Amino acid sequence: MKRSELLSRILIISGVLLVLAVPFAVQSIRSQGVIEIHGRMAEAGGWSPNVIHAQVGVPLHLRLTSDDVMHGFAIGQSPVPAVDVLPGQMTDMTMTFDQPGTYTYYCTHWCGPNHWRMRGTIEVTGDALASPQPLTPPLYVTLKLDIDAPHPAPVTPARVPDAVHGAQFSALLPAGVLSPDYYRSHSPEQAFQDLKAVSSLASLTDSDLWDLVAWLWQSNTTPADLSQGQRLFAQNCAACHGETGSGNGVFSADIKTLAGKTPANLSNPSTMLGAAPALLQGKLLRGGMGTGMPSWGPILTDQQTWDLIAYLYSLQFNPVSIPAH
Amino acid sequence: MTKKQLSFGVLFLLAGAAIIFAPLPVGAAAPIHRTFQVEASQFAYAPAVLQVNPGDTVTIQLASTDVVHGFYLDGYSVSVTADPGQTASLTFTADRSGTWRFRCNVTCGALHPFMVGKLQVGPDTSLWRAIALTLLAALAMLILRPSIPRVEAS
Amino acid sequence: MRFELTRFPFVRSLLKNRWLQFLIWVVLLAGFLFAILSGLFGTPVGNHNFGIVFVWIAWWAVLILVAVPFFGRGWCAVCPIPLPGEWFQRGALMDPPQKKPRRINLRWPNRLRNIWLQNLTFTLVALFSSIILTTPRVTAIVLAAMFFLAIGMSIVFERRTFCRYICPVGGFIGLYAQAAPLELRVKDKQVCLACQDKPCYHGSQAGYGCPWDVFPGSLTKNTYCGLCMECLRTCPYDNIAVNTRPFSSDLARPSTRMDEAFKAFIMLGAALIYAGVFLGPWGSLKLAAWSVGSTAWFGYAVAFLAFIFGLLPALFLGAVWFGKLLTKATTTLKKSFTALSTAIIPLGLMFWVAFSLSFVLTNAAYILSSLSDPFGWGWNLFASAAIPWQPILTNILLPLQTLVLVGGLLWTISTARKAASEVKVSPVPVIVFSTAATLVMLGLLL
Repeated sequence: MKRSELLSRILIISGVLLVLAVPFAVQSIRSQGVIEIHGRMAEAGGWSPNVIHAQVGVPLHLRLTSDDVMHGFAIGQSPVPAVDVLPGQMTDMTMTFDQPGTYTYYCTHWCGPNHWRMRGTIEVTGDALASPQPLTPPLYVTLKLDIDAPHPAPVTPARVPDAVHGAQFSALLPAGVLSPDYYRSHSPEQAFQDLKAVSSLASLTDSDLWDLVAWLWQSNTTPADLSQGQRLFAQNCAACHGETGSGNGVFSADIKTLAGKTPANLSNPSTMLGAAPALLQGKLLRGGMGTGMPSWGPILTDQQTWDLIAYLYSLQFNPVSIPAH
Repeated sequence: MTKKQLSFGVLFLLAGAAIIFAPLPVGAAAPIHRTFQVEASQFAYAPAVLQVNPGDTVTIQLASTDVVHGFYLDGYSVSVTADPGQTASLTFTADRSGTWRFRCNVTCGALHPFMVGKLQVGPDTSLWRAIALTLLAALAMLILRPSIPRVEAS
Repeated sequence: MRFELTRFPFVRSLLKNRWLQFLIWVVLLAGFLFAILSGLFGTPVGNHNFGIVFVWIAWWAVLILVAVPFFGRGWCAVCPIPLPGEWFQRGALMDPPQKKPRRINLRWPNRLRNIWLQNLTFTLVALFSSIILTTPRVTAIVLAAMFFLAIGMSIVFERRTFCRYICPVGGFIGLYAQAAPLELRVKDKQVCLACQDKPCYHGSQAGYGCPWDVFPGSLTKNTYCGLCMECLRTCPYDNIAVNTRPFSSDLARPSTRMDEAFKAFIMLGAALIYAGVFLGPWGSLKLAAWSVGSTAWFGYAVAFLAFIFGLLPALFLGAVWFGKLLTKATTTLKKSFTALSTAIIPLGLMFWVAFSLSFVLTNAAYILSSLSDPFGWGWNLFASAAIPWQPILTNILLPLQTLVLVGGLLWTISTARKAASEVKVSPVPVIVFSTAATLVMLGLLL
């Protein structure tokens, strides 16, 4: 055949082969040593892969992308900062584990009513580089609290309790109620009843006693922790429970469809004042068994859980800055 | 072209120029602060058409109802994004009159590029002018030359 | 006022040069295959996928804003889709081989020698456009389907039957090419009459017979000439010329074909529907268009088809009928209808230009980021992957669209008058129809 014909055939064949082969060649080089994780809404499959294996002390390189909407990636109970997982774009991150175990990674941007189900695990094997933290059962287990039983407060305050007003009586509190253990194992209503029975507080009205309970509750947290709790609430809870906690979040209708009832009203005085912090901790850690309430156990640290709980109580009381005791 | 057609032509051109360039009376309403609660969902805003007066201070409270959405305002280049459950707030002064589209600027699914709403600052003068221009154009073409052909008797 | 570009030997040799044409083809074929690859294997997120960005933003912008209005079927001249099939038919990539290869070369059946099939394929694409335009995998499948269909048809049939009778894009490119200021025509018809072999149609050692099944000697309109330049190569009398000419030249001679008339309505209707569904604020319409298979989508599909094939042509028919009434003309209604539908051609073209300006200017920024990261795999070939999305030229968009639509209306009215005088009907009702349609489009876009 003519030279121009031969040349053109070589050109077209090599051009087509190049176009077809080069992208995959480049990609296989780029993905050496990196685990690519694709995020999709839970209804579309969630994280893929959703199980990753890693070794203690060996850096784990992850490349994250979303296949649909904006997601986020964070490791539960870990100080590793969350990263945004962007649709059609890749985010690289590297982490190293010094303890073996199962780590949960989860989505940090609400992406539908089943957002919280978008989780995966990193199975880390190997010898621990530091001594492991001892595990203790959560308080509601130790106290044998039934976290599914209804807990309405038999009595509720006539007006919103005011911790500033309650501060002036704080010196009269018996030592027993000032410990964190008391706070964690008693509901505000129980504390109210206990304080009612204290002789040195006999002159106080019910209103005063509620104010004192408010002060007591606020004294078990700090403004920084309340702030953290508020942030956690906004990021994790408001989408279902509503930005004011009234159970009317943007997904409340979907939750009603999925689980048969709307998310709990966390601004209801009877509900909240009848619940001890340990009870709320139990609900948070374990989740709702079919009510659509996620289990936050693998995600939140102890401190984060208590901060969130402190924030929830603060919705019941007038906001205050903690005066010095 | 006849003299009549020429004079009509000039008249229409002047009318066209007037329609395009003549300043319309601006509303004398004093600027106020307006707040809009805008819900964003796949793939529309509710409400999708917002009306303000020039000079108003506008606050958009963006509440996403399903996934992360954004609000990017053409012409003003201001934007805000909102996660579901975290209403985000954007405040700006509506000092540029006209019709401005706002669009989602966080990929939120397949039809994301078509998630659009409209901010109307002042009256919709661009549409009025366009309508007037259109009618003028049709009128001009109809008048400048006769349109109804006479059927010749064979 | 025709100006012959090929009077310059430099231009003539450039257009006849096979290597120049081939190199353009290689680049576009590579890009086309790359788009399919990207659609199949790249990120499913449309705005970060080369397949979506370069087909529906970059290529579409060039097609509807530049290629069609100014070069008519200029895209068809460089389109990669028919190439493998054509090379197979010819048995060569460049000059004709010594011996013509034996091929099936069936003639396309007479019944289908019209653009009704193209009307159908375009309507199908338009109906499913919200999925096609936004889902990389679906775009890839549609492109691949066109590619392999073209190859298959070239194996069985003669010439470019896919291009001429099936391609959804070719249908409207041909229609709107009539309005373009570029044409290919013979210089002297007498030369063609005297010519014995007609190598422009049958081929010769210098080149191949017209792949578009057109006899250049009888070309009076741009509609079906694909500007492939073979006839420039084969004509032994140098009787073929490429000319510039005024816009709208072919529209002075109104159409007589119903298939072309309906193509004009399909395009007009689709532009109106797209302006409402895609660029409007109504989320329920978008979801209805997108959720294929749902009840809402069926409602959308029925409304879509009823509007394009029913309401619009019916309203227009009413306008034509009324125009006929005004002059008591004796021309048949059918002839008047097809003639006056010529006016819908510039109207539809400008509607599409106005509509496309909106989403092209809004999304053009993705072209830069997609060049660096075509698959959405985290590449950064040209350091532009992180360029954020930002609409461009939005300040002038609304005035530009107004200019386009008002200019389009003036053009339409002028065309309507010429067509109307040919069939002795009053164009006034059709002018009213066109004005009303323009007002609706303005209302949707502005």
